[in-house]
Amino acid sequence: MTTQDTKIEKEAGDLSRRDFLGLLGKGAACAGALVGAGSALASASGGAVNALGGVGPTFQQADDQYAEAVKNPPKIPNYNWTQHKWAFGVDADLCIGCLRCVEACKMENSVQMDRNHTRTWVERYVYLEGEHHALVDSIHDIKNVVPGSNETRFKFDDRYKDGQFEGKKVEKAFFVAKLCNQCEKPSCVQVCPTGATYKSVDGPVLIDTKYCIGCQYCVQACPYGARSLNHERGTAEKCNWCYHRITKGLQPACVEVCPTGTRVFGDRMDPESPVSEFIRNNKVNVLQPAMGNYPNVFYKGIDKEVF
Amino acid sequence: MHKHIVRLLTLVAIIAVVATTAKFSAIQDTFHQYGHYRGASVAQIAAKLPQHQGSASCQSCHKEIYAEWSSGIHQKAHKDNKVVGTVIKGGVNCEVCHNGPAGNHPSKEAMPLSVEDQVTTITHLKHTTHPANVADRNLMRDPEDMRILCTNCHEKTVGRPLRGKDKGGVPQVAVDGHGGKAQCNSCHNPHSPTINFAAIPRAPVDPITGKVLPVSAEKSGDAGAGRSVAAMCSACHGDTGVSLNPEWPNLAGQNASYLANSLKAFKAGERKNDLMSPMAAGLSDADMRNVAAYFSRNSCSVPGGDKAQAELGKAKAAAAGCVACHSSGGLRNPGKDGISGAQVWPNLAGQNAGYLALALKSFQDGSRTHAVMTGVAKTLSASDIDNLAAYYATASCK
Repeated sequence: MTTQDTKIEKEAGDLSRRDFLGLLGKGAACAGALVGAGSALASASGGAVNALGGVGPTFQQADDQYAEAVKNPPKIPNYNWTQHKWAFGVDADLCIGCLRCVEACKMENSVQMDRNHTRTWVERYVYLEGEHHALVDSIHDIKNVVPGSNETRFKFDDRYKDGQFEGKKVEKAFFVAKLCNQCEKPSCVQVCPTGATYKSVDGPVLIDTKYCIGCQYCVQACPYGARSLNHERGTAEKCNWCYHRITKGLQPACVEVCPTGTRVFGDRMDPESPVSEFIRNNKVNVLQPAMGNYPNVFYKGIDKEVF
Repeated sequence: MHKHIVRLLTLVAIIAVVATTAKFSAIQDTFHQYGHYRGASVAQIAAKLPQHQGSASCQSCHKEIYAEWSSGIHQKAHKDNKVVGTVIKGGVNCEVCHNGPAGNHPSKEAMPLSVEDQVTTITHLKHTTHPANVADRNLMRDPEDMRILCTNCHEKTVGRPLRGKDKGGVPQVAVDGHGGKAQCNSCHNPHSPTINFAAIPRAPVDPITGKVLPVSAEKSGDAGAGRSVAAMCSACHGDTGVSLNPEWPNLAGQNASYLANSLKAFKAGERKNDLMSPMAAGLSDADMRNVAAYFSRNSCSVPGGDKAQAELGKAKAAAAGCVACHSSGGLRNPGKDGISGAQVWPNLAGQNAGYLALALKSFQDGSRTHAVMTGVAKTLSASDIDNLAAYYATASCK
């Protein structure tokens, strides 16, 4: 063998190894993609069934686990979670921003009383003359609540005296009530490391405070900012549509105290329920549909600026 | 086998045993039952007791208030008026304002037996303490300041949808120009806030003692005894209460509560007048009630005034909102103009134009004050005052 030959063989050997590694890499990528696509399809089909109000395995629930949920439902008196599919409606055309819902929620669910901890809250979107984007007034911001009122009592401060703000006229303004969307594919559930938060069969995403370690991954994961940390309990805090009320045939506390009928709640499996009527009779929208979370809170009368 | 390998294997085995034991003992039985979570937690979350109880739960004891509320606008606020669960959908249910009763409400068991029987007939106005202010019970936020409570929904605010027949919306008021610093419940019954003057459920307060009272408990004076007291008034106000000077008010046919209230105010120094203050100082509570009753029963007369001014005044009375209180039907269904809806407010029809103008001017300059009138008077020009005075001086007082 000449040196030349050796050189060529060496090159060939190098090439083949490179090819092999390349092939291996491509193969792994393809396999990964296949697995990924497979699981995405699986969860998408699960979500799609439920988004239409039907019943089937919820997010990240295996078929045998769903079968168990049907066969041995949780022991809640006079209630079977496979016979309900809860949904929520918000008619922003009616909201007056009185914040009775916020107070009622705090009292019902022992949420911390300051303005930074809320399970449900209200935002005001204000369009000033000549501006393309809305000012978003949230009650989490101290400048929007009446001074000194935010520890025990909540009230929107009107910083637009005479319909003016910093010399600009208010063109349009409206209130939007916000709460947990109880998504079909909740990103908070996906990131929870301990199984402390989960999607229940009847809709709400619940928090098992016994298993919650307060790591706040879920707070980060929620695209709607619906979660916070309860600093007294050290566990995650979020709306669960008053699961202890709806399983007893009551409405969530915020719906009970809403004086204008802005908040609508009901069972999508009952076509006569308030929320089924609300969705049927109105052109409704969900927040941030592009996030792919399939929210279950349906809004009427909001702009695309609302997120 | 080498010793160090045996050691390593032993260590691995121990770790494996510990980890397996930990896994089976620490993970709850119900974990993975329905999914990657503790199945038992669902029922635990659902077992929590509800705090808010709904309006229907108030009805069993507070029957009178419930009836008052359910016949009023706060219950029928929403066009559907549909019962969902325990509440009226979209209505202003009890717990919208009384936010906390379910959590703080005394349970039937906690209440003395006699109280439970009483509560079925008791009305809040018989309480000497505001129901929201019972010691150790936070039955309602902001118990003293009704304005804070009402303005949560009714203050004019950017972003609130305007009220319309087919829309939700709530009446919105710019508080400063509406009632000044007066408490909302001095005119509105919070349970049924539409002011229906034809059927005002009860006089708010006793004119002399200032205590809240139901109508039946209001002490009326003795007109016969009042006649002898009235003798000292007749020099200025005439024998029957028709004054000699147009700058002095006619008293004949005036509301007794208003007259008694005015005398009390002169005696207490809340109103000042060189002639009236010393006169009122000598009167006892009974004298005030009696003389007020005497003048209120005499028939009034109309002094008359400039017709052109009266026409302008009529328009101003509607625009300035005078009719809301000084008309028998109120703002929504105006009845007799100048005849006030409540006994504690003065009738204006048949009053002397000179006196009316002076009264409005004294509200303007602050020499006389009233929670509502001070604010209203400041919106009037000098010609407005003359026109209004002329209008009420010509209006029929019967």
